[in-house]
Amino acid sequence: MEHFIVLAFKNVFRQKKRSFTLGVNYAVVAFILVLLMAFSHGASVNIADSLVKATAGHITITGQFAKGGKIYNGLSRTPDIVSAVTDTYGDAKVLVRYLVRSTLYFNGLSKRLSFTGIDTGKDPTFQDQAVFKNPASDGSWSGFAQDPNGVLMPQDTANYFGLKLGDQVVLSTRTRFGAFNTGILTVRGIYTTDNYFAKDLVLTHFDFLRNLDLADPTASTAVYVYFPRVENLSAKRDNIDRALKAKGFDVAVPASDTEAIAAVSAASPKYETDKEGRDRVMLKVATLDEVLGLVRTILAAVNAVGALISLVMLFIIAVSIFINLKMNINERLMEIGTMRALGVEGWRVTVLFILESVSLALVFSILGGLLAVGASALIRIGPTFPPGGNLGIFLQKGHLMLLPTLGSFISVILVIGLFAALFSFFPARKGGAIPPVAALTKTF
Amino acid sequence: MEVPMRVNVSKIEKTAVFFLSLMVGILSPLGAQQSSVTSSDPGAVKIVRNYEDKLNLVGFDITNTFTLIQKKSGEADRVLQIKIYRRDSADTFTLIFQYPNSEKGKGYYRNKDDLFLYLPSTREFVYRNRKDDVGSTDVRTDLFGKASAETQYYLNLAGTATVAKWECDVVRYDAKQLDVSYPIQKWYIRRTDGLPVKVENFSASGTLLRTTYYVDYQQVAPNKYIFTKLLGVDALEKGQQTFLTNEGISTAKIPNYVFSKAFLEEQSR
Repeated sequence: MEHFIVLAFKNVFRQKKRSFTLGVNYAVVAFILVLLMAFSHGASVNIADSLVKATAGHITITGQFAKGGKIYNGLSRTPDIVSAVTDTYGDAKVLVRYLVRSTLYFNGLSKRLSFTGIDTGKDPTFQDQAVFKNPASDGSWSGFAQDPNGVLMPQDTANYFGLKLGDQVVLSTRTRFGAFNTGILTVRGIYTTDNYFAKDLVLTHFDFLRNLDLADPTASTAVYVYFPRVENLSAKRDNIDRALKAKGFDVAVPASDTEAIAAVSAASPKYETDKEGRDRVMLKVATLDEVLGLVRTILAAVNAVGALISLVMLFIIAVSIFINLKMNINERLMEIGTMRALGVEGWRVTVLFILESVSLALVFSILGGLLAVGASALIRIGPTFPPGGNLGIFLQKGHLMLLPTLGSFISVILVIGLFAALFSFFPARKGGAIPPVAALTKTF
Repeated sequence: MEVPMRVNVSKIEKTAVFFLSLMVGILSPLGAQQSSVTSSDPGAVKIVRNYEDKLNLVGFDITNTFTLIQKKSGEADRVLQIKIYRRDSADTFTLIFQYPNSEKGKGYYRNKDDLFLYLPSTREFVYRNRKDDVGSTDVRTDLFGKASAETQYYLNLAGTATVAKWECDVVRYDAKQLDVSYPIQKWYIRRTDGLPVKVENFSASGTLLRTTYYVDYQQVAPNKYIFTKLLGVDALEKGQQTFLTNEGISTAKIPNYVFSKAFLEEQSR
């Protein structure tokens, strides 16, 4: 059989022009598919990384609590939640946040914004990401950390209001109980970040937002849990669920990806009437995989579109394979007749033609795939895109993250090879079935 | 820091205190989270009961048309016209937008605590908070119905003041619980007829959020009044105010069918 393989490889380039034309098609399909999968994988890795550095943990705990016949959004008994996690996983890092959507008023302008309350002493998540271009005019992290009524404004928001360092802004929000409350914040920093999920967050202090929301001292809106290793998040979540239940919490997992996304983006507590009539804290414990589920669904849709384009191209290739092989067989009738006259069975002739076709597909799809790997590397280090643009969610430090994997590379080559084998089988079988006499007399 | 209001002051002092109150309210960070007031002043309760009784139209069916002109600095005036049917005895009302054409057919239907916004474009009813703003203006859907401040607020006298030409008693409202929109309010009740002429709404931290001026009233029955002109001024959004006129007031019996979702749907066709 190895002779057949060697022969098949040699035969690939007997009709250089024809083989090259077909081969380029294989290469283009492989290029598109490898690039798409690199985009998909890169986007998934990048979004997970950015999300974890902004508004999600490896495990995110959000929820509601019922008290006095009313259900409030947000968490109560936060210290108990934190201790349930740390008792279960001593090496886990736990961050507590307070998220509020509130209207900001300044200089005759107003806008509803998402405020993220952090404990600057314990939560360094944003410290390394926030860039203050000019400390004299844009402030600093330490200036913000030292002022309990300080706020860090994203550059775009600061530009909208015309804010500068030291300006005081008014916040007005309907609290979780229904009453309006207001507060004053002093701008202690104007920052930019290349993290898509952090770029619009107005950062302020946890206690400030909790007080603004008129919430009790054990209240928060989200608890983020980070592990040194990200494996087996579902199992870790199950263990945390058990610990939380043991402390008297009602625990549930998100019913869908959408619910998981909602869990990490929950803000602006409000209340509704409790029909159960039992004071309780209801927690929703979501893993990062669940939060990213929706992203993966979107990326799968992007991949599906790419796959559809590739499929159309592959069918064009299928027709080309068919015609190409037919022409090949017609041109090589003498060769087929000779092989058959020498005693080569018909199925071996069929295999030879299939091997030729598959060899052509493999050579060019590998080339196309390698080209895609090279292009991915170039794009990764090459052009810088604006973080606020349409591509923002896929960018890391302004670069589009295309991360091809060996698995995706091999699977693309295999699929194209199998495809070539499948569509060359029928004409090849016909070639193999030609009687030697008919082939030698070219009467077929 | 709380808004200092329990004082009898001269006109100049009053103005100073008022602006000081505003400044303190606006500039203080989170000050008074919840009022320390825990009781009501019988004198204030009497004043409030008196005007609530005059404005209480339970037992009447009221049909009227609101015209709202919303002014926002830097923007063109926004005009809304709304036909209103209310039956306070059943704690129900129906509002139908008549102008502008883009809003025509939209409406609210409230039945006790359930408030629905009808959107003719999609022909759907959206469940809303009964404290919703009407058409994003400073006028709210809990404007109607039987008021009962006593159940939700501690009421105390906070001096006197002159609003326009009227001498007024000032009653300070402090919420008993924080489930009301405005935990602190100041109502200015004129002494001539006991009707409110001005209301200031404060946030929990004591910041003035909006001021409502009841400019004029119409008597609809003996000792029963309904406002005919109202001005709402947003204190945080400088330059934003809503002027409301109340016309075509009638106390004729309204068919029951008017207080239904079906009526709203029918009117939008």
